[in-house]
Amino acid sequence: MNADGKMRIGYLMNNTGVHPASWLHPDAPPHTGNSIEYYTDLAQTAERAKLDLLFRADTPAARTRDLEAWSRYPLFMNVLEPLTLLSALAGATSHIGLGGTATTSFSEPYNIARQFASLDRLSGGRAGWNVVTSANEYVALNFGLDELPPHDERYERAREFVDLVTKLWDTWEDGAFIRDRGLGLTFDPAKQHRVEHKGRFFTLDGALNIERSVQGRPVIIQAGQSEAGRALAAETAEVVFASADTFAKAKAFHDDLKGRMARFGRAPDELKILLSLSVVVGETQQEAEDRFQALQELTHISVSLRFLSGDLETDLSDLPLDEPVPEHRIPKSSNLHQKFWAEIVETIRRDRPTLRQLATSYSRGRNTLRGTVTQIADLMEEWFRGGAADGFMMSFQVQPSGLDDFCSLVVPELQRRGLFRTEYTGGTLREHLGLRRPANRHVSALAAE
Amino acid sequence: MPADRMMHLAFSAHLTGSHPAGWRHPSTQMNADTDIAAYRRLAQLAERGKLDMFFMADTPALRIDKLGAWSRYPLFTNVLEPMTALAAIAGATEFIGLGGTATTSFNEPYNVARQFASLDHVSGGRAAWNVVTTANNYAARNFGHAALAPHAERYERAGEFVAVVKQLWDTWEDDAFVHDREAAIFYDQDKLHPVTHEGKFFKVHGGLNIERTPQGQPVIVQAGASSAGKELAAATADVVFGSAPTIERARDYYADLKSRMANYGRPPSELKLLAGMPIVVGESMQEAEDKHRSLQELLHPDVARQRLAMDLEADLSGLDYDQPIPEDRIPTAANLHTAYFAEIVRMIRSEKLTLRQLAMRYERGTRSLRGTPKHIADTLEEWFTTGAADGFMFALHLQPAGLEDVVKHVVPELQRRGLFRRDYTGRTLREHLGLVRPENRHVQKVAPSAA
Repeated sequence: MNADGKMRIGYLMNNTGVHPASWLHPDAPPHTGNSIEYYTDLAQTAERAKLDLLFRADTPAARTRDLEAWSRYPLFMNVLEPLTLLSALAGATSHIGLGGTATTSFSEPYNIARQFASLDRLSGGRAGWNVVTSANEYVALNFGLDELPPHDERYERAREFVDLVTKLWDTWEDGAFIRDRGLGLTFDPAKQHRVEHKGRFFTLDGALNIERSVQGRPVIIQAGQSEAGRALAAETAEVVFASADTFAKAKAFHDDLKGRMARFGRAPDELKILLSLSVVVGETQQEAEDRFQALQELTHISVSLRFLSGDLETDLSDLPLDEPVPEHRIPKSSNLHQKFWAEIVETIRRDRPTLRQLATSYSRGRNTLRGTVTQIADLMEEWFRGGAADGFMMSFQVQPSGLDDFCSLVVPELQRRGLFRTEYTGGTLREHLGLRRPANRHVSALAAE
Repeated sequence: MPADRMMHLAFSAHLTGSHPAGWRHPSTQMNADTDIAAYRRLAQLAERGKLDMFFMADTPALRIDKLGAWSRYPLFTNVLEPMTALAAIAGATEFIGLGGTATTSFNEPYNVARQFASLDHVSGGRAAWNVVTTANNYAARNFGHAALAPHAERYERAGEFVAVVKQLWDTWEDDAFVHDREAAIFYDQDKLHPVTHEGKFFKVHGGLNIERTPQGQPVIVQAGASSAGKELAAATADVVFGSAPTIERARDYYADLKSRMANYGRPPSELKLLAGMPIVVGESMQEAEDKHRSLQELLHPDVARQRLAMDLEADLSGLDYDQPIPEDRIPTAANLHTAYFAEIVRMIRSEKLTLRQLAMRYERGTRSLRGTPKHIADTLEEWFTTGAADGFMFALHLQPAGLEDVVKHVVPELQRRGLFRRDYTGRTLREHLGLVRPENRHVQKVAPSAA
């Protein structure tokens, strides 16, 4: 629970919506492609609703196999790259946070540190970096590998990567650039701190060539739910995107993650858990259900099957559609998204659906909440007040209509209940989230005296 | 040469000016290097002057030694990163090309291909990538290396890097994304062409996850003056920034570079050579000289000595300021900027200057052109019409004052002479430059039989 009693709300801005058939829906623009005007409209809508964060997920790869399915479901097949997109949106917005994904498995710490520091500076302190290790074999192939490194190794690299990036962000003390024309001195050499790092994955002897960012450093976001992911988040994350299909699971995750923070000398409110929530708003619950069902029916069966196969981490396309998935086809363990994998396995064993039933009903993360404004606000209030989350990471089945409905109907209801801000009270993403501006590691000891 | 041939003008966007003491001049905004509003204003000003391209040089490193000098000379010390800055400028401009440097030595081809493709979409076809191999060891140490790889190896890597990026840019044919809702077909599988590349430096098996860009491919810029650099440019560059110090040497370079293109099956018109041209505009010749001299006088002696040492790739500490640099301090060859190195060596040997004289006279790259708008236009016209350049890459000692002088005084003079456009006639950078939109390599192959 946040000190001000208000929830934080982020917005997952994808192309036509999170539903695999969203691009087929008449509400979605037929050719969003890469029109910056389209994204500008979405960003400005979210900002008018005073949302905390606009967020762009990413994977640096196109899926180049199974084209029968992927050509019908354009998941990251034709997207603007997050840092360039967010930089472009910075000029069209003034308050909303700008978060984006960048992988630690296929980037260099110096480049990531620099680009996010630059985004933070040019947006006036609104940058957030979602740290991911990439869970997609196509990515590895784009960067000289035959397959992804094992899960634990990716997380070990991520930990060192984040550590190094935050060191680089502390290269300069605040106020290092004195720009004294008379003395001819641009900076105070005593306030520049060289980074000398020698680790398992990276060696660096240098420093960042941009001053300390407006937020001190950009906000660090993570979403890993595995053991390694939770450990990394407890130590380094300031925002965590969680996903859970019941209050109890959400609450358990929340308490577990926040409970781990003390080990790293961190207070629970230094990390905000935003629960992934996708909503479909209707005048009645039935209307909302119907809207969702219409999308499900638009989904091509080869897409449903591919989606399920991807998260179960095995190809099911040779199996008969009207029989259950045999036990021997279930992989022994997950190397990608462990949580999604486990949910599917549980459903297969518990409900024994046919493959067709399983595929058509599967919706990643499960949190598609269909209902009226009151029902949606009630659930958000209950989960928030019950301590299952500090806020929500919203996504919409179809855009822009899903975002418009949420911003024009649900947000005002949350505001009426005193659960969400009616105006921005700060200028930076940290200020929106209620996160303090971190001290530079080279001065914090002195400042405390 | 066609009668209506127009010159192309770009400028390097050092936010307080390209002169090392520019930031000390009262006309400049001291914190402009990280102020996106200052970048946007500069780009808008250039757009009013109908310039072809706003360009950001870059190096991914901070100089962390000799702070006595570097703390007085802000050379990429505190700057916005080009990809993010250019994307942020795109929305504040409509026409001007947006070029930026990215190194092939410390990046992955996939990431560079993607960011420039994305910038090209965000800007409506105005992106340009300046391919550099990076010429400072500070950068190497930021990426796990003790020092730069040798010159030849960096260029070999650059050649492979550019080839992979260009293949990635052709992943999708122009009309691959059909968005057919009836048939539930988002793209035509036959128009997706994954890259299969295994070379000395890179292995890439995959496709770019963004459609072909408005320009077909972003414009490729290069600036290498070495033999390896010229060869790479002849093979792959759309624009080359030259750095010859005299018109005679510029003509030689122009002829040399363009003649190499035939080896790669390219006509000379497919590459635009923009001569690097630092200019200082004055109402009179004397005023221009005074402007220059007053900046030179603001140069701290430590800064003057340091920039000389950097480009000569030599340690000049302990030398008497009023004696010539002894011959035994001059390295036998350059590993960093070949052109800068050669120019300093020439000045030492042929002009017999003292260290002080050399330090105060040395200007990185070409000696600045100083004079009235008419004098400057005369010189540019001579270079342009006698085979020394297709246009110019201006370095401006002070910003925004230097660019204001160009837009208010030099551009109108060139327009009067019919040497420069009065308005944009296209929307993309390729259109401004008179470069064709490249065919996708996968379409070219099938075109004859299809027709």
